[in-house]
Amino acid sequence: MSQARMIKLGAALLALLAASPGRAAETGTFLKADAVRATPYGDGKLVATLPAGTKVTILKKSGGWLQVKSAKGTGWARMLSIRRGEAAPKAGNAAGVLSLASGRAGTGKVVATTGIRGLSEEELKTAKFDENELRLAESYAASEEDARGFAGKGKLAARKFDYLPAPK
Amino acid sequence: MKRTVKCLVAAALLLACGASRGQSLEDVLKKAVGDKTQQKKDSPAAEDVLGSLLSAAKGPSQEEEIAIGRQIAGNLLGAAPLVKDEQLQRYVNRVGRWVACQSERSGLPWHFGVIESTDVNAFAAPGGYVFVTRGLYGLLGSEAELAGVLAHEIGHVLRKHHLKLLQESRLIDLGGKAIARQAGDNSAVQKAIGSGAEVAARALDKGAEFEADRIAVVLCTRAGYEPYAFPEVLQLIGHAAKDEGRVALLFKTHPHPDDRMDKLGLAMGDRFDRIKGLSLDKRFYRLKP
Repeated sequence: MSQARMIKLGAALLALLAASPGRAAETGTFLKADAVRATPYGDGKLVATLPAGTKVTILKKSGGWLQVKSAKGTGWARMLSIRRGEAAPKAGNAAGVLSLASGRAGTGKVVATTGIRGLSEEELKTAKFDENELRLAESYAASEEDARGFAGKGKLAARKFDYLPAPK
Repeated sequence: MKRTVKCLVAAALLLACGASRGQSLEDVLKKAVGDKTQQKKDSPAAEDVLGSLLSAAKGPSQEEEIAIGRQIAGNLLGAAPLVKDEQLQRYVNRVGRWVACQSERSGLPWHFGVIESTDVNAFAAPGGYVFVTRGLYGLLGSEAELAGVLAHEIGHVLRKHHLKLLQESRLIDLGGKAIARQAGDNSAVQKAIGSGAEVAARALDKGAEFEADRIAVVLCTRAGYEPYAFPEVLQLIGHAAKDEGRVALLFKTHPHPDDRMDKLGLAMGDRFDRIKGLSLDKRFYRLKP
């Protein structure tokens, strides 16, 4: 009973966080020179070509594209050409940056409250084999059949797609 | 009679070599051995030497690969145990297995897990062991992003990046014979992988990371997820950079996220512009605080 209430309370808090204002002006910096287009497609009408280092305001996101506002106009640019949240990072902005990524907020902060240690190179080197923990990990394995059923429930359909060659 | 057996063994080795792709050293040796065996059909000694060379190039068998991975996984768990949340662990195994099903090694006994560490990192061990830290998991916001992280690690397993690293550093007996003889004996395998789970802390070459990034996007796309979920994770990791400590090891062992985004952007180009997919942010299992 109390656990269910806790979950509800948590959900309500998350919703509040997600709805909180103050993350309207998301910014980004062009990592390399790239085009800004009228539509989020490679063959969309060219609005401008912005040089590396250009600071822009990010308005929204669609697949691999971000709608950006710059001095040279508003349009869509490839997400991988822009580092988000770089310009003028202010206190409290981090949650906003993270939330833009997938429409959530606050999740990144959960880890800070757990007080569990990191995992350094030294710790990895001196690590001792833990058979019990390994068996526990192995006990959670999903069969192929299990995985397919799970995918089906989420309406995930497998499709063909070739591996990508390394860029020249 | 004895010769026939030897010939058969050599032929089997050649076939076995041909079956696994993408190992240039192996290809070179295969060719060299093929030429030599034609020239020196009457010299069994030469066949023996070449045969062992061939098995050396082929590296450990799948069974050995799994034994090596299991040892590394057990060591890693010794440093950072599983997050004690069965639902979480089962969820991650289902997502991971579904993604791995889209690969050419879908039959490996894949295992996935979330481990207790505030560090932002993920690890792959040979044979199909993949672990994500609580710190990284907590940054994720959708099942597609999780699939992307797991797919990057799956990529390392598919292309045997860590296994090759171990071979290059001569930690593994080249023929894998010592391991084969003592299968199931932890100490022999441990000797082969060096100290603890140190291989997990070692940097692969940048090319291997970029390759795993490309594989991540493709496997996620094949699995029906949003192709840009994994690039999104690279963005997230780039932000975490300011947090120093918890990304220190990740940054030490991987190219900078900006660099990875650049390379991945070039590789993806416009190939994914008209491909949609699911992000499944509602189904994503969120960590209990």
